[in-house]
Amino acid sequence: MRANRAAVAVWLVGVAVCAAVVSRTVLRTDMAAFLPHSATLAQQALTGQASQGAASRLILVAIAGAPPPRLAALSRDLASRLRENPAFIDVANGDETSLGAVQHFVWANRYLLSGGVTADRFTVAGLRAALENDVGLLGSDMGDVVQASLPADPTGEMLTLMGQLGPGAGPAGVDGVWFSADGGRALLLAHTAAPGFDIEGQRRALAAIQAAFDRGRAVVAGAAGARLLATGPGVFAVHIQAITEADVSRLSILATAGAVCLLLFAYRSPRVLALGLLPVATGALAAVAAVSLAFGYVHGVTLGFGVTLIGESLDYAIYLFTQIGPGEPAGAAMARIWPTLRLGAATSVVGFCAMLGSRFVGFAQLGLFSIVGLITAACVTRYVLPNLVPAGFSAPGSGILARPLLAVIARRARLRWLVALAALAAGLALVTHRGGLWDGNLADLSPVPAADQALDASLRHALGVPDLRYFAVFGAGGAQPALAASEALTPALQGLAARHLIGGFDLPSLTLPSRRTQSLRQSALPGDASLRARFAQASAGLPFRPHLFEPFFAAVAAARVAPLVREADLPPPLALREESMLVSAAGGWTVLAPLRAVTDPAGVAAALAASPVHGVELVDLDHESAALLLVFQADACKLAVIGGLAILAVLAAGLRSPGRVAAIAAPLAAAVMVTAAVLTWHGAKLSIFMVVGFLLIVAVGSNYCLFFARLEHDTGRRARAAGSIVLANLCTVAAYGLMSFSRIPVLHDIGMTVAIGTFLSLVFGAVLATPARAA
Amino acid sequence: MGFFSKKQVLLACFLASPAFGQTGWGLPQLMAGLAQVKSASARFTEMKTMAVLSAPLAATGTLDYAAPDWMEKTTVTPVPERFTLDGGQITITSGQDGRTQVFSAQQNPLIGGLTEGIVDTLAGNLPALRRAYDVQFSGGPGEWQLVLRPLDPAVTRFIAWMCIRGGGNRIASIVTESANGDHSEMSIAETVTSAR
Repeated sequence: MRANRAAVAVWLVGVAVCAAVVSRTVLRTDMAAFLPHSATLAQQALTGQASQGAASRLILVAIAGAPPPRLAALSRDLASRLRENPAFIDVANGDETSLGAVQHFVWANRYLLSGGVTADRFTVAGLRAALENDVGLLGSDMGDVVQASLPADPTGEMLTLMGQLGPGAGPAGVDGVWFSADGGRALLLAHTAAPGFDIEGQRRALAAIQAAFDRGRAVVAGAAGARLLATGPGVFAVHIQAITEADVSRLSILATAGAVCLLLFAYRSPRVLALGLLPVATGALAAVAAVSLAFGYVHGVTLGFGVTLIGESLDYAIYLFTQIGPGEPAGAAMARIWPTLRLGAATSVVGFCAMLGSRFVGFAQLGLFSIVGLITAACVTRYVLPNLVPAGFSAPGSGILARPLLAVIARRARLRWLVALAALAAGLALVTHRGGLWDGNLADLSPVPAADQALDASLRHALGVPDLRYFAVFGAGGAQPALAASEALTPALQGLAARHLIGGFDLPSLTLPSRRTQSLRQSALPGDASLRARFAQASAGLPFRPHLFEPFFAAVAAARVAPLVREADLPPPLALREESMLVSAAGGWTVLAPLRAVTDPAGVAAALAASPVHGVELVDLDHESAALLLVFQADACKLAVIGGLAILAVLAAGLRSPGRVAAIAAPLAAAVMVTAAVLTWHGAKLSIFMVVGFLLIVAVGSNYCLFFARLEHDTGRRARAAGSIVLANLCTVAAYGLMSFSRIPVLHDIGMTVAIGTFLSLVFGAVLATPARAA
Repeated sequence: MGFFSKKQVLLACFLASPAFGQTGWGLPQLMAGLAQVKSASARFTEMKTMAVLSAPLAATGTLDYAAPDWMEKTTVTPVPERFTLDGGQITITSGQDGRTQVFSAQQNPLIGGLTEGIVDTLAGNLPALRRAYDVQFSGGPGEWQLVLRPLDPAVTRFIAWMCIRGGGNRIASIVTESANGDHSEMSIAETVTSAR
């Protein structure tokens, strides 16, 4: 009895220690923390951008459901309200304020920013050429536009710069604000202060947009029917979390209700029901603590998904409680079933061991989580639970549950052929499956609902926000060297654009030239007297009014002594753009220069490699993510195969007979094959999540088979053992079956796979794993 | 100041009274006639006076129109340039460096306000014309004129009025007075006109 109390005391101390560790655990949700260690600098920088860069802060907003003038009024109202909200760095809807800050900044700093500012430009010949060009422009349809800026900017730096930094064509407009081409939606772009991975910040920003819109709708006449649509990475994250929470809470309430009903029917004791949760709860706590200690942080996916992986440990308590005979002490029942339970837990643990070696930090975390969780749960079941079970407890309802299974067991000799036939048919279906079994489409793995993806695509198209795919990427030791390298790369990219190998490009130095270049431009500007003399010579004979260009002389004189432009001086839209291209990452700087409309990736890659800047690479985001998915899939399959072999090895060591190992392995293999055939019925594809599901089928199903293999002759014990397996399986099928109704692909795929597979393991195991003598 | 003084032009535009016209022929009939034109081509000569210039600038080139909302102005002298309006989108390609600018007519009230009045007149789209301008018609089938005063404050900041004159379903001249006093006169000689 003393030893038993000691076990409970050790358990309580362990729980306290784990709780202390867990309370200090860092939770990370960014995908970069889930990716392989071996990811390239470019991959890391790009995933970093995806979780916190300018693109991740973007919210695309559309207002629809009212006549265009009303929508335009709503757009103006919404933009002005959001611009006052510090949660938004920048709000653009096409009105004058949208571009005002950029225009003002560019105008004030045009002689430092423009690549047109060279010594040649300010010679008599250079000025003459500029002025002659101005005369031509004044006569053209752009004349009125040119005229306004001409006296202060006869060399046309503003026009050059706005062509470079402006928003391009932009969407069509109504009453001066952006609209979709059909006039049905007013469009806005907002950049949030919160990065994309900050789901709480994104949720607040989204709520602020909705609230501002609602207030505007109440003010603008005739806009009662208008509605708000919003998309973007942050919006997706918020939606996914909402769906996940809704699904998980709804489905887990249903699953819990189902399991509680089943277990109450079997146990008829609420106390025992509650005790059944101790192994899995302790296991999860210890698992989080272990991952936190080993990795320094726990990933959100690990946390959410790990509990699913150790769901098997709920079965441990079921096996114990259900198999206690009438009048039998719990400790005696435990001692009887422990060898089987230990071997079952060991098979699962070695199955997950393979994951520890994965290059994906996420897999490795999940592996450690499962191993620690299952071992802890098994130990709690073995050493703690028997002490807490009320004396004289026996599960009265298990006999009824066992009946259908016992009927199957009785007829197993005839059913063997049916199982063999099913496995054969499944194997044939898998072999003849057309178009490959694997789903290579990343979008199918995305938890973003298809309707959200379609809305996002249509708003991006309407707003002219490019979904960037190609980047020229290189590293540098500091911000200034990165800008200098970016300037050195400019001619090469201009050459590619002229040869139509790329449609366009952006570089951080176009927004913010290096300090050296800015200084060179300052020194290229002549002194006031010299400039006036040259200008008088250059403008001789041209039809300009006298004294027209005084503002120009003043601007050049001011620019010669102006402080150089720093990153901190950039207005929000340009600062966002700069941050997305010039990224400071651990120990260095990375330049990510977007290339638009790449027609010949191989040609571009070759040209970049030959450029004077060292180490420039062409990165194809689609290719990178597809490659990542392939590695992910290959890793998952490798882990599943290694895990399967490890399970066989443990079974061989535990059972010491090839025949007995085969009796366990055959029903599991048949169950996995038939499940795979069902899942790929009618040309459907297997997802990476289903492979994880296969491993779970084997982990959970091997326990069933081991108990079948050790069914005893004693009728009562046999019925209770069969009852415990049925009960465990019904709880598993209820939980995972309900999960398959989730809208989140991960949950749906695993739920479906495990529900089908474990039920098949039950039936196939009963038929194939039960020894002949136990009839 | 161009060929005519501003006042002379304005006077001519305003004095041309409905008494010229035959009874029963008015703005709706003019618009209906213009709406019949499927496509048209013309040569033009434009004289511009601008505040920044001490002498007027002359430009010549061709105009092409296809119903209902496509129009292209190709300037040949002094500097080659192509200006295309397609639906609501304007593309300007300047001949010297081939630089192309694309923007929507709505986005740019200065240029959009001008082209909208011209293309709506060419298309004979009276409702659209009246949405954007105060329209004054005078004359008859042989000789008519429209004075368009923009209604949108964003446009009136740049354009005071336009006067379009013509005969039958052809346009002979477009005079534009900017809010800042700049002034443009474009005389048009249609070479090809094809009706529906």
